[in-house]
Amino acid sequence: MLDIQIGEAGRVKLAGRLDAAEAERAQAALRPLLEPVTVDMSGLEYISSAGIGVLIETYKRLHAAGHAFKLVGLQPRVRNVFAYAGLDRLLTIE
Amino acid sequence: MPERRFPRAVGSLDAIFAFVHQFVADRGLDPGLTYDLDVIVEELFTNLVKYGRDGRHEILVALEADPVAVTLVLKDFDVEGFDLTQARPVDTTAPLDARRPGGLGIHLVKRIADDVRYEYVDRVSTITVTKRIGP
Repeated sequence: MLDIQIGEAGRVKLAGRLDAAEAERAQAALRPLLEPVTVDMSGLEYISSAGIGVLIETYKRLHAAGHAFKLVGLQPRVRNVFAYAGLDRLLTIE
Repeated sequence: MPERRFPRAVGSLDAIFAFVHQFVADRGLDPGLTYDLDVIVEELFTNLVKYGRDGRHEILVALEADPVAVTLVLKDFDVEGFDLTQARPVDTTAPLDARRPGGLGIHLVKRIADDVRYEYVDRVSTITVTKRIGP
């Protein structure tokens, strides 16, 4: 189960599991955002390629509009998946 | 080898994860292994669902462990063959805007697993993945 909290000033919090079954819901929650976005992933326990796809699409959309997109608080195993995908060097991850 | 059949829909993932987690617990394996197994089984299962649109049968997932490795098997019955292991490689050095969609899931499986094999016999696709756990 994925918990998505959209806060003020582009603050987003993801917690739980972002898998293929939850990707569409995550995409729908992030799509309206059109401002600099920081995603707090400290509560995210699991992500697969479907979840990464959601974040890549969000990054591309915001980047094209001139907005920053940052991921913070990644748990080690989640961070590993980003590294396997070669995204740890392309996305802003703190 | 514990095995179960799951409806071919992404909505099956929670039940598949529960099956994997129960197997890891029952065998006394490192709980940290569940993350790797979850990614492997999700990526393979969702690819079978996505590309096996002619499939009408449930997909079998089976697990086995010995002191050195966990073996995960997925079987898709009465379908056209589609060798996931031959998917176009992902260029992980390319900038995001230059990347074409697709292929990331299988790329992750190949990075995480130690061996991935595909077999197609009598209209049954079988994917066998090995993940080392021993020293």
